[in-house]
Amino acid sequence: MSNVIAEAHWKVHWRLTESAGIMIYLADYRGHRVLWEASLPYVTVDHQRETLELRDDPDEAHGPWWIPLGARTLQGPVRMQSFRGGVELSAAFAAGPYHYTQLWRFHDDGRLCPWLTIYGPGVHDQHTYHPHWRFDFDLDGARDDAFERYEDARWHRVEKEGWFPYSGEADEHGNVWRQVDVTSGAAVSIRPHTWDDAELFAIRYHDGEWAPYSPRSEAGSATFPSAYVGEEPLDGDDVTLWYVAHVHFDQSFPYTAGPWIKVEGFGG
Amino acid sequence: MAPSKKPAKTAKPVKSKPKPKPRAAALAARVPPPDVAHADPTLFDPLTPGEIADALRTLTEDRRLSSMAKVGRYRVICTEPLVVKPPHWMAGHRLARVVVYDYAADRTVDACVDLDAGVVAHLELTRAQPMLSRDEEALAVSIAMVDDRVREQLALGDVPQSTLHYWGRTPDDLAFARRSAAVVFGRADGHASIVAVVDLLENLVTRVVPAEHW
Repeated sequence: MSNVIAEAHWKVHWRLTESAGIMIYLADYRGHRVLWEASLPYVTVDHQRETLELRDDPDEAHGPWWIPLGARTLQGPVRMQSFRGGVELSAAFAAGPYHYTQLWRFHDDGRLCPWLTIYGPGVHDQHTYHPHWRFDFDLDGARDDAFERYEDARWHRVEKEGWFPYSGEADEHGNVWRQVDVTSGAAVSIRPHTWDDAELFAIRYHDGEWAPYSPRSEAGSATFPSAYVGEEPLDGDDVTLWYVAHVHFDQSFPYTAGPWIKVEGFGG
Repeated sequence: MAPSKKPAKTAKPVKSKPKPKPRAAALAARVPPPDVAHADPTLFDPLTPGEIADALRTLTEDRRLSSMAKVGRYRVICTEPLVVKPPHWMAGHRLARVVVYDYAADRTVDACVDLDAGVVAHLELTRAQPMLSRDEEALAVSIAMVDDRVREQLALGDVPQSTLHYWGRTPDDLAFARRSAAVVFGRADGHASIVAVVDLLENLVTRVVPAEHW
């Protein structure tokens, strides 16, 4: 199977990574460059205690864990399928009691859906999944981008890197964040899933700050992507976005996490 | 013997540099600067076995890593293609990102090897913990399988289901700062029975916890 999709006004390349699922790269919509690369660097899982009384059992405060989604956990082939109005890539991954289906869906109206369906029982019911997506959008070029957040009933330009949780407020289409190419006015808008308890990290792009091969930084330090957040200005530069969902396991699983992303300003 | 003097060359007649034709100059001025829109997709292609070998040879010959290479207690975690954006000087080069965990120094090596130039172009040495290699995952299982506490708690039909990449939340937990794995045992139908935490620096099981209490 070719690793290039040219369908539904999209041209997208993809490859299976060692730990970040299916990575897509050099994605164009209607002949305009939209994205340099995007992937799912990791899905961490943490566990909650059934009692909040730490003194009852002080030894049982466990940390999180994760398993790479890649060649070592892939179940069957990566699939490419057309659907009415678009085309999608999907791949299933499994590791013991954890099962995932990663999806990249490309709609002819400019929507892009990076989703993750979560199955599997886990080691017990009291656990929460934290899928982390990383997007390096380059709208009509890498530079001259800006990041905006919807707040107090209007869009605000964000000046510096930071962490931007979904507060419940969104524009009339449900969008909460967007990256704008200042020159062309084109934008990618991000609409979180209502139940993702989502947050977004906006970080200035730097060579060397590539997707890490683990969420785990130095002991006692912030994990990634928090460890990349500093005080650098974003306006007019190249921006990297991380979308993080927080999904508590319950009996209604499977659950599909991930945002809707819409490319606008390139016609169509 | 003194070298014989070379006969002096006769000077070439000075030619005036041809002036660029107006059309060619206009075309040159119109060539866009390197940009992400003109990136070569083949640079993202998976590395060939030869490219992987080349990257690792180049890395281990780098003088900055000579002690690591000499001691030889390191694991290659991952070797994957890396593509940097224009206008970086390495844009357009075939690059490999190599991540290694050096057990002797308890540190991570995160390197970018320029395969076109045959040099380590970027090197970071940190205390971050990269993911476990497949070999480390397998090693954790083999350590857990022979541990007496684990064997005592395994039920009939329990097998190792998966090796999770685990780290402790607090300094009380040995896995807070040490390279660790959590091996989940259970039945083939997916039900988990016990979790064994393995310290990969000492190759020891440090904790065995019933899965329902994890």
